[in-house]
Amino acid sequence: MYEQAMSKIPLLISRSKISTEGHKTGEWRFVTPSFKEKTAPCRATCPVGEDIPRIGMIASRGLIKEAWETIMAENPFPCVCGHVCFHPCETACNRAFLDESVAVHHLERMIGEAGISEGFSASVLKTPSNGKRVAVVGSGPSGLSAAYFLSMLGFSCDLFESKDQPGGILRWGIPAYRLPEWVLQNEILRVEHMGVRIHCNTRITPERIGEIMDNYSALFMGYGHGRSVTMGIPGEEMAADGLDFLLEIRRGNLPAMDGIAAVIGGGNAAIDVSRSLIRLGAKPLIIYRRSLADMPAFSKEVNAALDEGVQIMETAVPVRIEEEDGNLMLRLQKMRAIGKDPEGRSRVVPDDSAPINLCVQHVFTAIGAQSDGILNPKEEGNDRAIPLSHSMFTLSKIPVIYGGDLTNAKRSVSDAIASGKQAAMAIDTYFHHGFDAIRERLNVSRVGDRDPLSMAIYLETDRASRSPKVISYSDINTDYFSNTPRHIPQTIPMLRGELSFMVKEPVFSLKEGVGEASRCFHCGICNDCDNCRIFCPDISVSCVENGRRINLDYCKGCGICVAECPSGVMELEEEQP
Amino acid sequence: MKHREGVPDIDYLYPGHLACPGCGAAIAMKFALKALGPKTMVVLPASCWGIIAGAYPQTGLKVPVMHTAFATAGAAASGLRAALDIKGDTETTVLAWAGDGGTFDIGFQSLSGAAERGEDFIYACYDNEAYMNTGVQRSSSTPYGMRTATTPGTSWKRTRKKNIVEALAAHRIPYAATASIAYPEDMIRKFVRARSVKGGVRFIHILASCPAGWRIPSESAVKVTRLAVLSNLFPLYEVKDGLHYTLNMEGNRPVRPYIRMQGRFSHLTEEEIERIQEMVDSDWALLKEKANCKQISIK
Ligand SMILES: Cc1cc2nc3c(=O)[nH]c(=O)nc-3n(C[C@H](O)[C@H](O)[C@H](O)COP(=O)(O)OP(=O)(O)OC[C@H]3O[C@@H](n4cnc5c(N)ncnc54)[C@H](O)[C@@H]3O)c2cc1C
Ligand SMILES: Cc1ncc(C[n+]2csc(CCOP(=O)(O)OP(=O)(O)O)c2C)c(N)n1
Ligand code: SF4
Ligand SMILES: [Mg+2]
Repeated sequence: MYEQAMSKIPLLISRSKISTEGHKTGEWRFVTPSFKEKTAPCRATCPVGEDIPRIGMIASRGLIKEAWETIMAENPFPCVCGHVCFHPCETACNRAFLDESVAVHHLERMIGEAGISEGFSASVLKTPSNGKRVAVVGSGPSGLSAAYFLSMLGFSCDLFESKDQPGGILRWGIPAYRLPEWVLQNEILRVEHMGVRIHCNTRITPERIGEIMDNYSALFMGYGHGRSVTMGIPGEEMAADGLDFLLEIRRGNLPAMDGIAAVIGGGNAAIDVSRSLIRLGAKPLIIYRRSLADMPAFSKEVNAALDEGVQIMETAVPVRIEEEDGNLMLRLQKMRAIGKDPEGRSRVVPDDSAPINLCVQHVFTAIGAQSDGILNPKEEGNDRAIPLSHSMFTLSKIPVIYGGDLTNAKRSVSDAIASGKQAAMAIDTYFHHGFDAIRERLNVSRVGDRDPLSMAIYLETDRASRSPKVISYSDINTDYFSNTPRHIPQTIPMLRGELSFMVKEPVFSLKEGVGEASRCFHCGICNDCDNCRIFCPDISVSCVENGRRINLDYCKGCGICVAECPSGVMELEEEQP
Repeated sequence: MKHREGVPDIDYLYPGHLACPGCGAAIAMKFALKALGPKTMVVLPASCWGIIAGAYPQTGLKVPVMHTAFATAGAAASGLRAALDIKGDTETTVLAWAGDGGTFDIGFQSLSGAAERGEDFIYACYDNEAYMNTGVQRSSSTPYGMRTATTPGTSWKRTRKKNIVEALAAHRIPYAATASIAYPEDMIRKFVRARSVKGGVRFIHILASCPAGWRIPSESAVKVTRLAVLSNLFPLYEVKDGLHYTLNMEGNRPVRPYIRMQGRFSHLTEEEIERIQEMVDSDWALLKEKANCKQISIK
């Protein structure tokens, strides 16, 4: 009966047989999202343009070798820089607005030490030989960097160094308690493994330049500022030269010292001389013509010196040194500030007070250095010269490029490395595209719109499409980052008497390093979090080979992918009518 | 490319569905089906989702959908379950998927009946806090302070939002939970859990923002539901057997930023926001007490 009844009623249940894919809901859209990697502030501030957000991202996954290779693409000295770079990147770090900046230099040092202990090789970055030979004068960071990058680009390099060992100031200036010898040795060895021939005990004289020009296709000059500036005061010969003193210590001569040692100057050399003196038993007193805030030494170094017990006398200049009963009598004139000089430091003049006498046992000078010019770039009278951000390209018989302390406004290790890289790019461009192409090619190899140059961008292995826009804190979705204090490797507490020439600060453990790398916002680069795809209400984001793709047939332009991107990679643009 | 752990890769939604740009309800369904997979049948009463899923002859879901009358999600899901059981299909999960109007108000009796009978299905309420499909009329889920088409101007809603999870917990159903579209892993885990639990209706209450009705830019749709959780205004928690509470996280932000980012609350004064903060604080304290109360047991 039931069946009979049912058969009379047609059972009409409408059933959908096609999907909604026929609706191209992309037509609703009036703003369009896109992926566009941007520039991180740290990288834009790093003189060598290291891809810090990517290094942070890779290291946060524990991929230390890959992180190391990412550094090596831009900088042959990860471990040296981990120790001595003044890390402006950390000052620019967006994370500081949330809690504290990322400890990039500790991370770099950990990755650099892993590179040495694991014996990672940089030879993979090398391109085939192009048959051209380049001579490099000076084996400081600028010369070594030029040789490294030139080898990477296929040039064959001979590096000439007047001293018996390579490294420049890294070798004979910066003391071992800041840069251990094994670090320098290993990282220089790696440059040699790239095929660079280092000829020590080979001083290049003006006479030899002609010979070089006959035998090489290009010449890089990175002979630095090796000659100390003198004060020109009576009795100066009784003062010891600070740089010579540091060199002696690096040679292993560690004389026990006592008494008060006056150190004249306010730069890194003055600090290093003082901190070395205190380790040898003397009581250093820095005498500086301007105020503490004006000291050109890196503030971290000044603070370390003060912590160790170095004393600083501000606004005083020596006017005479005399010997008195086996001691040295230093006559000092106090100074006073009258406004600022163009660099923002105080301008000082003698105040009206009478000179004061100070009885000390030693006097060291460290008031600066200058080059003992082999060829002076400025005197050359060459109209085919291009002043670049970190070097000076000149064209005589062959291209001659000057870099490092010879040309840099900021004299630092990383700026010297930047010089070498810039010179390598300029030489490479010159031979491939000619003199007139140099400016433009270097211009497009910049990180963001800033000075740092990137070899990866130059070689276009980097996503050359990365936008020059520098990511600011407001571009970061901080909902994805919780307050986590910066990891600091615990400094071994030491008594003053125990100060030594060993590096005090321990290195990150792998766990600390990975933890610290995870604090990085990865500003402007995709960290594969997948938020854009996960949250898309319209199933319009998909994974493709090297990233993600937006299906504009269906994307309604809601913008959730943009808002939920933690690192500011995505952007919305209004549809053009 | 890396896929995220805890978020299954496959989607059972077709693009081209008819949700507004940035619709939280669409994201909610996306996550629910990622968790439940292809062996799922969806029961949809009248609601925005009745439209989102596509008009005949189209469908926006890769799993079967049964459209049903506004008041009947609980009853229709019971019937569908019975039909599957008769066919011997115990594998397929029935998911009743209704809005807040269809759950808190007109569908409440059929849901309550099914819960009391111990029916075997998952009931998910995607809560956008008003009758959105017909133009933002207030429901008993509309929160204190919201302006809607039926509580306009100075007549903004003065009564509290009904606590639907408590009402369902009072039925002693085996599993009840809250979820937010800002926490995909948490929401997916809860749907997976709900699928495996047997012995009655499993109820999941999802806060699903509606850019149109909440008067927010569409890109804020996820952020707003995150702030609701982070301010404890919409806490994430689970209730087992109507008695045992587990809090999933504790927020530490004030409600003010949550309120101030939405046009539907733009008329509220600082004092009124303070009043909302007090309500949130006392509700949260009560909830914490329930979670801490280990002695409750049924005999
Ligand atoms: C004491 C001290 C501490 C410092 N500390 C830091 C620090 O912590 N961090 C930082 O970033 N910067 C620091 N600096 C600055 C930094 O060391 C220099 O800016 C950098 O080393 C410059 O590199 P360079 O390659 O131009 O020259 P140098 O490092 O000076 O190297 C030049 C090389 O050329 C060789 N040479 C010179 N003339 C000839 C010739 N005619 N033929 C062949 N070879 C020749 C020299 O022997 C030397 O090896 C410090 C400087 C000093 C003096
Ligand atoms: C019995 C009945 N009354 C009224 C309607 C009209 N109607 C369709 S959807 C809807 C609102 C649904 O609100 P809610 O359940 O909260 O879902 P939302 O649209 O907000 O997602 C109404 C009133 C209907 N379909 N059936
Ligand atoms: S009205 Fe609101 S709930 Fe409905 S489809 Fe649009 S955004 Fe989604
Ligand atoms: Mg609703």
